Amino acid sequence: MSGAREAVVLPLIFLTVAMFGGVVPGPVLQWTAPSLFSLVLAIMLIAVLVRTGALAPERLMHAGRSTLANANGFVVLVSLFAASAQALHMVTPGSGLPALVVGLIVFLLLLNTLVSSPDRRHVLRSVAVVVGSAFVLKFVVLASLADPQGSRTYRVLVALFDVATLGTISQEPIPAAAGYLAFCLLLLYLAGISALPSRLGAAGRSVVISRSRPRKSRDSPRVTSGSRAEP
Amino acid sequence: MREDVVRAGGLALSIVYAALIAWVYAQQPPTITHVTGGLASSVGAYRIDSQAFADGLAFFRRNQFVEARAAFGRADPAERDPVTQFYIAYSYYRQGWGRLYNDDPLFAEGLKRVNLAITLSPGGRVVLDDPDLRMHTADELRAELEAGLRRDASDLDPRRLFRERK
Repeated sequence: MSGAREAVVLPLIFLTVAMFGGVVPGPVLQWTAPSLFSLVLAIMLIAVLVRTGALAPERLMHAGRSTLANANGFVVLVSLFAASAQALHMVTPGSGLPALVVGLIVFLLLLNTLVSSPDRRHVLRSVAVVVGSAFVLKFVVLASLADPQGSRTYRVLVALFDVATLGTISQEPIPAAAGYLAFCLLLLYLAGISALPSRLGAAGRSVVISRSRPRKSRDSPRVTSGSRAEP
Repeated sequence: MREDVVRAGGLALSIVYAALIAWVYAQQPPTITHVTGGLASSVGAYRIDSQAFADGLAFFRRNQFVEARAAFGRADPAERDPVTQFYIAYSYYRQGWGRLYNDDPLFAEGLKRVNLAITLSPGGRVVLDDPDLRMHTADELRAELEAGLRRDASDLDPRRLFRERK
């Protein structure tokens, strides 16, 4: 991985998601910090990325690297954590039953992925599907139920639905700009995690840093080729 | 060598960006104008619009308080200048003052603004030598606004009919 990508591109991507992921646009901007549960989910997500090889922390921080390079790697890891927490907080509904259900489903999906340990390509797809589905639920389905601009019939139906569900489904109206902002930030986040240094090296070769006792013939990381094409 | 420069530059950029994020989430600026004004103020580059301030002052002296606040708002859109915020607070005081009773919402807004002026001022000290004013410090103005909002037995004192607006 190039120094520019590690030192500039990845931190900027993740810090941008961390900064604007908590913004609720409107006449008065609201800056919401991620919830505690989002922090837990972010830790799990990073664990999934590490376990599946989508993120190789040893390529970011290692005793053999210079102090400056390790500092860059540390910034990438910290900003990845902040961006993950903010992205998951952003796609989780704000209150009520949907917040509980989405939080629980994301938690179980991450746990399942952590246990099953798919390869890098599958886990990136899985993360895209999880955050994409949560995005659709919050910014399309639930936002349309909370839309105050609907016709009178529509509002009566929504009010009846609200009564039938004891008010546990309805959410605060979401400004239209919030959905567009969240969409762009999620794309940015997914691009960021797909650009993380993985255990797959360039040209489809997998880079394995051996943790077993050093071999006599070669001390450098063992490189095996032709295992899988880089997506 | 070149890679080290890129890495050092990236690290510095990331630290500045992270500090910006921390500042934004701590300060909760309500508009983008407040964000840019706050950033400019933190590096000492924030300037008010002096023409709009002069307009506001002229309105203030003619007891046109709503117009004065509009002009002061144009002069200090990011709400970072303690003097402008002091005048805005004073305009709320003068508009809300009454011989029989004060307008509580205006006094409450004035108290909010004078507290902001005190927060923005270095050392919390705002002193003006404007001869048109009878209270020259933010501390006096805050005390007057707090007294106006307080409910106690002195509200029934008939002598309050003879008091004067400051």
